[in-house]
Amino acid sequence: MTTGNGEQTETAGQTGHVLGEPIIIADDVKKWFGDFQALKGITTSVREREVVVIIGPSGSGKSTFIRCLNRLEAHQEGTIIIDGTELTNDIKNVERIRSEVGMVFQQFNLFPHLTVLDNITLAPQWVRKLPKDEAREIGVQLLERVGIPEQAEKYPGQLSGGQQQRVAIARSLAMKPKIMLFDEPTSALDPEMIKEVLDVMKELALSGMTMIVVTHEMGFAREVADRVLFFDFGTIVEAGTPEHFFTNPQHDRTKLFLSQIL
Amino acid sequence: MTVEVTQHEQTPLWRNATFLKWLAQIVALLGVTAFFIILASQAVENFNRSGISFGFDWLSDPTGVDIREGIDTKPNSGARALAVGVVNTLRVTVSGIFAATILGIVIGIGRLSNNWIVNKISTIYIETIRNIPLLVQMFFWSAIAITLPDLTVDDVGDYWFKASNRGFALAWIFPSGGFWPWLTIVIAGIFVGRYVARWQRRIQEDTGRRTYPATAWFLTVVVFGVIGWFAWPLLGFLSPVLHGIATFVDAIPAIVFVILIAIAAIGSAVWWIRSFFEARRTPAGFGKLTDDDWFRLIFAGVSGVVIAGLAFVIGGFTIDTIAGDTATVAELLRTVVSNFFDWLGRSFDPSLQVGAPLDPQKAEVVVRGAGFVNYGTSGQVVSVPFFAVWFGVTLYTAAFIAEIVRGGVLAVPKGQTEASQAVGLTRSQLLRLVILPQAFRIIMPPIGNQYLNLFKNTSLGIGVAYADIVAVGITILNQTGQSLPVVMVWMAFFLTGSLLISAIVNYYNRRMMLVER
Repeated sequence: MTTGNGEQTETAGQTGHVLGEPIIIADDVKKWFGDFQALKGITTSVREREVVVIIGPSGSGKSTFIRCLNRLEAHQEGTIIIDGTELTNDIKNVERIRSEVGMVFQQFNLFPHLTVLDNITLAPQWVRKLPKDEAREIGVQLLERVGIPEQAEKYPGQLSGGQQQRVAIARSLAMKPKIMLFDEPTSALDPEMIKEVLDVMKELALSGMTMIVVTHEMGFAREVADRVLFFDFGTIVEAGTPEHFFTNPQHDRTKLFLSQIL
Repeated sequence: MTVEVTQHEQTPLWRNATFLKWLAQIVALLGVTAFFIILASQAVENFNRSGISFGFDWLSDPTGVDIREGIDTKPNSGARALAVGVVNTLRVTVSGIFAATILGIVIGIGRLSNNWIVNKISTIYIETIRNIPLLVQMFFWSAIAITLPDLTVDDVGDYWFKASNRGFALAWIFPSGGFWPWLTIVIAGIFVGRYVARWQRRIQEDTGRRTYPATAWFLTVVVFGVIGWFAWPLLGFLSPVLHGIATFVDAIPAIVFVILIAIAAIGSAVWWIRSFFEARRTPAGFGKLTDDDWFRLIFAGVSGVVIAGLAFVIGGFTIDTIAGDTATVAELLRTVVSNFFDWLGRSFDPSLQVGAPLDPQKAEVVVRGAGFVNYGTSGQVVSVPFFAVWFGVTLYTAAFIAEIVRGGVLAVPKGQTEASQAVGLTRSQLLRLVILPQAFRIIMPPIGNQYLNLFKNTSLGIGVAYADIVAVGITILNQTGQSLPVVMVWMAFFLTGSLLISAIVNYYNRRMMLVER
């Protein structure tokens, strides 16, 4: 389907949503750690409600790239525009973007000194300045959404890895973000807990959330992704729909990678 | 097919691991006890041979000790002199702990600062202070203080703050007439304020209307303080009650106090044994107790009984009192308790208490006698020795606390910072809400050790002639020759104080522990 002027393609993604305007625009993003260049000019854009999965070998810059998107790492060259705001060293812009972009980490990074519910309500209370009971209401709803309402008053150390990761997702969602970033969310989990986290992520994708997911879960990529990016040596080697990517990869490096993991 | 088991009817004792373990414990206990008994009897014998009778009579004997500063500069007995030293030691310890904690946290966070200058200043401070012996630093601060100008007739007058080679004088607020009843009302205000704050918070939760619980709490305390300022004589009715309690205590047979202490000793042993079982209780049952567990339980029970027995023995000791007659330790204890209630009774008596509860005073410099200028009696005078000891231990301990704080903050995983940033917390919020609460759990135990070190290090004050318990004890020791008894009093004091500090720190530590599994 094409729009009137033929420039903006109105594709329906895998999740059945009509993709909107580009909400993340990265243009020639470069990043060095000392003399090691982690990103060698990444150019891509992500549209509203799109689910993008990034795969690639370790050290390929995929984590670094999504960490640049909420400035946990500062890129050194190029531009990143999130929802119309450019990421610069303007603290106010950074704080605004961070409150609109949720992030889920490989190691969960829950706050161990707070209960599960307090983990979720902390940011809404202090950043969004919501009253406590309103924040708690949202927290309880989110815990129901990720399927563990009965764990609200426990501490993170008392939960299993899969439950902790679901709390971490709920904590990000509490800020009502427009974009969710997932940095290898299932890599630290026991195999039997991976599914419960992936199910929550799938549900999130179906609800129309814009998501960028760094993962090694090819099944998830195949099933949910609108687009797959393959990273290697700090560049995007290949990009395409999952169907295209998994059945008909163009690049030799992609073929080699897929032959090793599938 | 049958398996043949090689098994004696009964394992001989010398091969029985359980028996050997118990034997080792009992032999070790007896050995240690015997060692100390032999040591003690030998020491007493040596004392008697050298012509000095080992004992504690010097505690009640009149003494000619002059003390440079403290609650009593001309104490009438050894015990009173030691009490002055104890108060001086506690003064420098408590104020030092407060100051060192604040300074240490500031420097420790400064050490982590990205600001190059703040970072370097903190580093230089730590590296300088912790690498110079504390005694040398105390000498240094003392030497600095006495190079200040002397007081002259020109200096006579009132001051907010005045420094000279006689020390420092500063304006201060002292408790005055009716302070204790007023403080009682203020403390009541703190409790009432808690309810007011809770009530305000409930209003906010129920109606959504913004309320200010913390402010309400604070205002409640202020209102109680202001009302209490004028209304404290209304509590005067408590005065006869308190005097009545004192009279009642005097009427109790002294043996009752001993019995109470014995009950407390046995009670805490029972409590310990109970909590030992509680901790082991699982849904599946108690589990199996090991030999070590049994030994612990028996040891706890026996210590309870022994301490209870000791209470009766020590309570029955007869000693000379300052008044010249004799009394048992139990009777002395009763006197202390009844005197305390008498003092409280006087504190609540409006006819004895004149003036406002708090008395702010400016420091003053006055002429005392012909041309002799010194600080007057108003305001707080900080002597050169106190300054040297307090400043010395504060700076020294703060350097170590700073390193502990730095280590504690660095020990919080980097992911915590990233997660806080990812949900949009500002730098100060992330420090206050996420990093410091976790860092404090890591730094509390080692900071407790630093408090202990500070407390013990105040004994170096003898180097700059600060009248702490060690300095006072040395004077008594020189006059009476009772070296071992004086040293025993020192050890008992520092041991008690240290155990008290660790108990407080452990209490906070347990309350803040992370819940895992």
